[in-house]
Amino acid sequence: MSQTVVPIGPFHPLLEEAEFFRLSVDGETVTGIDTDIGYMHRGHEFISERKTFTQSIFLVERICGICSTSHPLAFVHAVEDVDNVEIPVRAAYIRTVVGELERIHSHLLWLGLAGHFIGYDTLWMWAWKYREPILEIFETITGNRNHYAMMRVGGVARDVPPEAVPPLLKTLDMIERKMAMIAKAAADDPVLRSRLKGVGVLSRQAAIDYCAVGPTARASGLAIDVRKDEPKDAYALVDFKAIVLENGDVYDKLVVRVLEIIESIKIVRQCLEKLKTAPGPILNDVKEVTAGEGIGRYEAPRGEVFHYVRTDGSNRPLRHKVRAPSYVNIPTCEVSCKGIPLADALITLASVDPCYCCTERAVHLVDARGVRITPDLLQLSRDKTERLRRDIHG
Amino acid sequence: MAEKDPILEGLEGKIGRTAAKNGRFFFEVADENIRDVARHLFIAKSCRLSTATATETRRGLEVLYHFSHDATGRYYCPRVVMTDRGHPKMRSIAPIVKGAEWIEREMAELFGITFEGHPRPERLLTRDHPKPPDRPLRLRRTP
Repeated sequence: MSQTVVPIGPFHPLLEEAEFFRLSVDGETVTGIDTDIGYMHRGHEFISERKTFTQSIFLVERICGICSTSHPLAFVHAVEDVDNVEIPVRAAYIRTVVGELERIHSHLLWLGLAGHFIGYDTLWMWAWKYREPILEIFETITGNRNHYAMMRVGGVARDVPPEAVPPLLKTLDMIERKMAMIAKAAADDPVLRSRLKGVGVLSRQAAIDYCAVGPTARASGLAIDVRKDEPKDAYALVDFKAIVLENGDVYDKLVVRVLEIIESIKIVRQCLEKLKTAPGPILNDVKEVTAGEGIGRYEAPRGEVFHYVRTDGSNRPLRHKVRAPSYVNIPTCEVSCKGIPLADALITLASVDPCYCCTERAVHLVDARGVRITPDLLQLSRDKTERLRRDIHG
Repeated sequence: MAEKDPILEGLEGKIGRTAAKNGRFFFEVADENIRDVARHLFIAKSCRLSTATATETRRGLEVLYHFSHDATGRYYCPRVVMTDRGHPKMRSIAPIVKGAEWIEREMAELFGITFEGHPRPERLLTRDHPKPPDRPLRLRRTP
């Protein structure tokens, strides 16, 4: 019997970035999947070995536009691991706040995209609407909606002043109410349930075999979460639950993410309360990094981000290895897509929240007269940040 | 510094001296023992393979696997050293650990290491590329 191959990608209206799936089908049923990656390969490991540790933080931040705190955090954990560097407690809380806010906005982004993928655009618009206040909190705390440049070896770059905390808590209250509404609506929604329940199942054994991480693994019953397994920063000081479900289908992956948003809000609130009084500096000055090896990891929204550095006593890594969670999660589609109808394949592929590394932002805008207007945009952006600060701080 | 650890029990004679720090265990393994070590860590002790790192050093090429023991938050990292820079080769652990398939293909592509027994020894990043780069992460391009 001849086999039909349906190509998805490398450029496809639904997948924003380049990746190529060859789906073998028998009638309507997917019988196999072959994945091609490499379209977004930018040689970060090669470049990083030619940068200083501080410069590399800015580089790894640009591996992904959504996980732009997870990569720098895992990288600074790895460098700190070489010399057992301790960080100030205030820095630990700030790192955790930024990390968890990133989880909330990333999960909301995925929730919106998942709705869009199944033709349920109401969910998409809802989720993205309430993602916006999160990005504005980011802008208030860090000065930017993405690429926050907050992490440093030994602490963080920027403090959250105690007087900034009460307005942030007020915004968080509003977000929590909206998130509870979205969580209830998503869990009770008959459209989502009938469309996603039992679709693209990844068994517990397959998740173990493929070394899956993050919500992909937790929806299949694997209780793995770096924040619990190796609590760094303030994770040992706050109270939260790791969400683990059993069925491994797309619906459980959605529910895991929605419930994680609620847990993340709890963590952010606890950290912000502590930041009202937590004393001390935000950065331990690290003068040098000795020769050795260090492993750093962080539970990014999509799962464990892993960074390994080998150092020789100079100011740059001898070897820097980066492994993003999608690298181990995307191959699980070989199992979860097998035997499902072709119409379900796209949401199943998207259910691991694949992160095709985002491109760097380097835009030069030219107006009708041929004059570069990038500086004007920068000024507009700075004005908006100031306006947000004034609005939130009253 | 050698340190006894319950996860490494049963591997005596198959692993070299263990350097332990902050719950990370680095040890050398001969090529002929890497599959036994992978079987022990992945199947018997339920470790998860995070990834693997290839590095070119003065001794030759090294492949360092990173197994995470999630229940304790510890890392076990067997290291295989290949001194033949011209034709580095070692046994693949992908037949035992499915999750090693992509990373071994990537190391083969970027460093020119042959993984014997790999179920699918193809390029990962530049399959079908008209001019694939030649081992771009090697310090010396020509053997």
